[in-house]
Amino acid sequence: MKNKKLDFLLLGSIIIISIFGLIMIYSASYVWAAYKFADPFKFVKNQGTFFILGLFMLWFVSKVDYHIYYEKANLIFTICLILLILVLIPGIGTVRNGSRSWFGIGSFGIQPSEFMKLALIIFTSKYLCRNEKNMNLIVKGVLPILAITMLVFGLIMLQPDFGTGMILVMSIIGLLFIGGVPFQFFFRSFLVGVAGIVGLILSAPYRLERILSFLNPWKDPLGSGFQIIQSLYAIGPGGLFGMGFGASRQKHFYLPEPQTDFIFSIISEEFGFLGILLVTSLFLIIIIRGFKIASHTNDLFSKYLAFGITFGLSFQALLNLMVVVGLIPVTGVTLPFLSYGGSSLLITLASMGIVLNISRHQK
Amino acid sequence: MFVKEIHSRIKIVLFMIICLFLLIVLKVFYIQVIDYKKLNKFASNLWSRNLPVEASRGLIYDRNGVVLADNLTTTSLVLIPNQIKDKKMVTEKLAAILNVSYDDMYKHVAKKTSIERVHPEGRRLSYEVADQIAELKLDGVYLVKESKRNYPYDTYMSHTLGFVGIDNQGLSGLELMYNDYLTGTYGSIKYFSDAKGNKLDVSEVYEKPQDGVNLTLTINHEIQLSLERELNNAVSKYNPDQAIGLAMDPKTGEILAISSRPNFSPSRYQEYSIEEINRNLPIWSTYEPGSTFKIITLAASLEEKTVNLKDEHFYDGGSIHVENARIKCWKHGGHGEQTFLQVVENSCNPGFVILGQRLGKEKLFQYIRKFGFGTKTGIDLNGEGSGILFNLDRVGPVELATTAFGQGVSVTPIQQVTAVSAAINGGILYKPYIVKSLNEPETNTVIKENKKTKVRRVISEKTSQEVRETLESVVTNGTGRTAFIDGYRVGGKTGTAQKVKDGKYMVGNYTVSFMGFMPANDPEIVVYIAIDNAKGVTQYGGTIAGPIVRNVLLDVIDILDIKKPKGASEKEYNIGDKKYITVPSVIGKTRKEASELLKGLTIRYSGTGDVVTYQSPKAGQRILEDDIVRIMLDE
Repeated sequence: MKNKKLDFLLLGSIIIISIFGLIMIYSASYVWAAYKFADPFKFVKNQGTFFILGLFMLWFVSKVDYHIYYEKANLIFTICLILLILVLIPGIGTVRNGSRSWFGIGSFGIQPSEFMKLALIIFTSKYLCRNEKNMNLIVKGVLPILAITMLVFGLIMLQPDFGTGMILVMSIIGLLFIGGVPFQFFFRSFLVGVAGIVGLILSAPYRLERILSFLNPWKDPLGSGFQIIQSLYAIGPGGLFGMGFGASRQKHFYLPEPQTDFIFSIISEEFGFLGILLVTSLFLIIIIRGFKIASHTNDLFSKYLAFGITFGLSFQALLNLMVVVGLIPVTGVTLPFLSYGGSSLLITLASMGIVLNISRHQK
Repeated sequence: MFVKEIHSRIKIVLFMIICLFLLIVLKVFYIQVIDYKKLNKFASNLWSRNLPVEASRGLIYDRNGVVLADNLTTTSLVLIPNQIKDKKMVTEKLAAILNVSYDDMYKHVAKKTSIERVHPEGRRLSYEVADQIAELKLDGVYLVKESKRNYPYDTYMSHTLGFVGIDNQGLSGLELMYNDYLTGTYGSIKYFSDAKGNKLDVSEVYEKPQDGVNLTLTINHEIQLSLERELNNAVSKYNPDQAIGLAMDPKTGEILAISSRPNFSPSRYQEYSIEEINRNLPIWSTYEPGSTFKIITLAASLEEKTVNLKDEHFYDGGSIHVENARIKCWKHGGHGEQTFLQVVENSCNPGFVILGQRLGKEKLFQYIRKFGFGTKTGIDLNGEGSGILFNLDRVGPVELATTAFGQGVSVTPIQQVTAVSAAINGGILYKPYIVKSLNEPETNTVIKENKKTKVRRVISEKTSQEVRETLESVVTNGTGRTAFIDGYRVGGKTGTAQKVKDGKYMVGNYTVSFMGFMPANDPEIVVYIAIDNAKGVTQYGGTIAGPIVRNVLLDVIDILDIKKPKGASEKEYNIGDKKYITVPSVIGKTRKEASELLKGLTIRYSGTGDVVTYQSPKAGQRILEDDIVRIMLDE
């Protein structure tokens, strides 16, 4: 295997979107930061530190031969599992925004569930390689890895952090899908899921209303509809070109914590439809490159790994964007590269480092 | 083969992801383009706070542009506590300027409310104070315009103009009737704020208030002043229960002056009873008209040619028998032998009974209705009465007889004036009106204009001329002599009606009235005066109401510049040497200036000093030359 050059299109897109994220975090957060911490740069300074750290990680990881993850997959997974259990213990894990999912180190916070996402993808990729022949067998091939996934999901739900848990589960399902698990399985699971939802609705019809409430947020503008209405108030007036950098009005205490889940709304408000096109294009470049790298590798492990990481990223981005534009109910998922969140950015950049490393080993 | 399967499945996944991204972009497009207007409006409402700016209420003018109702503009202080950062500093500065204690001011500055009006210290600020505050340029401190309705002539025409309530909303009269026009639209100062109410650094948007539409009336201010003065004099002289005055242009139906007593002061409307305020007597009250109604019988008889005034004779023995009743003439012993012209001049009741009998009840009542009695005239004022007429099948010979000279029917003053106008203007009944036009405040463009409205022709041109001539001779030779103005042609008719209470005529309680018009050959004005229960005098329309109408008509000669008819007697009228003078305002003037301004009048000073602080009579009143004006002086 010869060393190829880095995928510069992918690297360039990653750096551009991250810097854009940094700028938008500043624009979105300075009002709240000044109000809460008397320091308008509070959030952007934190995120900037992580960004530099993340760039270093990206560079470092892209140099590390990915085969090491195959060898150390079980160890990595076990460490992350222990951390995930430790974070649940009061006194060790700290509660932020109602979830006990953080290790507080000074003003920084580390979320073990973010690391677990990557660890489980590595673990599953290895699992798929070793059980290549069993993957069309439900009991022998699919159920064991699903059981492990559900265990991790259960631990994350104890925090609770539904969004991260959901991304984790979907990443694994995506991996199983390309890993050769028959269509029938997904089809049947889908039917079981639909049947379950229908059953729940039939047993208590108010649930349907609750599920569908996101379609008309104005029904409960101060309750369940609040965030989405505030988000639409940001997106709507943005128009084609937006109000201009820094000119968002919704960030003035209307939209709670605009630098996190709803940063896309602020981008939309300040840069309009063109800003949205830019952001989605960057995401699509990264995703398409990621999938291309997965398609072009020789060995199965790196194929699964590159796909798993890229698919997890895509799913998280889609989940966030669909919430922000009001296509699905609020789930509390951040937007990769763009939302404020140190460990998330660190892990995202590190994962991209792995993908970049894989790209060097292409045929 | 297996790897190929992996690759095709990756493509499926990628395809789905791209589809979802497209969906998101489309949804954003939908929000920004299709929902843009709605969301932008909602969001704009969310971001902006409005400081209301009051619009000026439309002004009310007389026909010549004299302001009858306007607004006093004042400036008031408004605070938006959320925007005031340095509350101590702002409180100190405002307290010093407004002369309020620090603690009292702080209560306003620190109040938890979106908009705080500093009441009462911060309202109706003088220009100097407002200027001082404006110069501070403090965030969250605003000066807004407020206006208060002002009636320069106070009780003048109070029922017709009406008044406004605390929020400048019209509550009676024209103020109520045209409230939608007079009320403007609020403007606002729109400023943008964050969710905590702090002001954002986005420039304010000033939306100009739309001032109310102006009203121009058909009223002639000078005639109105004259009428008001005469009613005041009548009240002090006779202390009547009520007094009514109405002047109309007979050729158009325009009301030139309208007033009544008791009246009220619109700025203190709370101090009066609802009846006093709401009853606009010239259009509301209904009563037996008495002899002024004979004009109708006269006009009908002339039109139907049932009488020849000059050649036919009638002997009045003092009473006439109708069925089993004996109807007396007002003059004890009767008028003896007369022509029918003299019957009219003398206002002889038995003579009019004959005229009524000749017409018959169908014809008489047909004319009464054609002249507009029994139905509202449709004048553009609230609270008009319609009067009561006998039902035709209940009219027997007695009812026919009494109706002919104005008893047993109930009519309003406006109906009488309108009907008489028709009888003398050439025979056409016009709908009376008081609003001449509605004008857009800035450009003065006419939004709506009322023009004369012909209701119907009642009598012929020729008959109308005969009526005019007959009524002129009533003033020249008959019961209307008290209204005679030497050198001018005046027509008229007296009226004296016994008032009815609980179905019975009251003793010694009359409504005396006079209907006069000039010039008699081509009338420009009809003036009607009715005095209800005058005290301390013999109650005849001729003796009480006649001279009042005469006084008004004397003013009208100057106001409307009515020329002496050629060939008329050159004899000067008795008080021709004495002219009426409109009293100027001398309040605030020095003693010297005042004496200059009041030249021709007798001044009585009181108090010491050099500045006039009070004057009686008030500015705008018309008094005779050499009459006394009292002024009070102060430092």
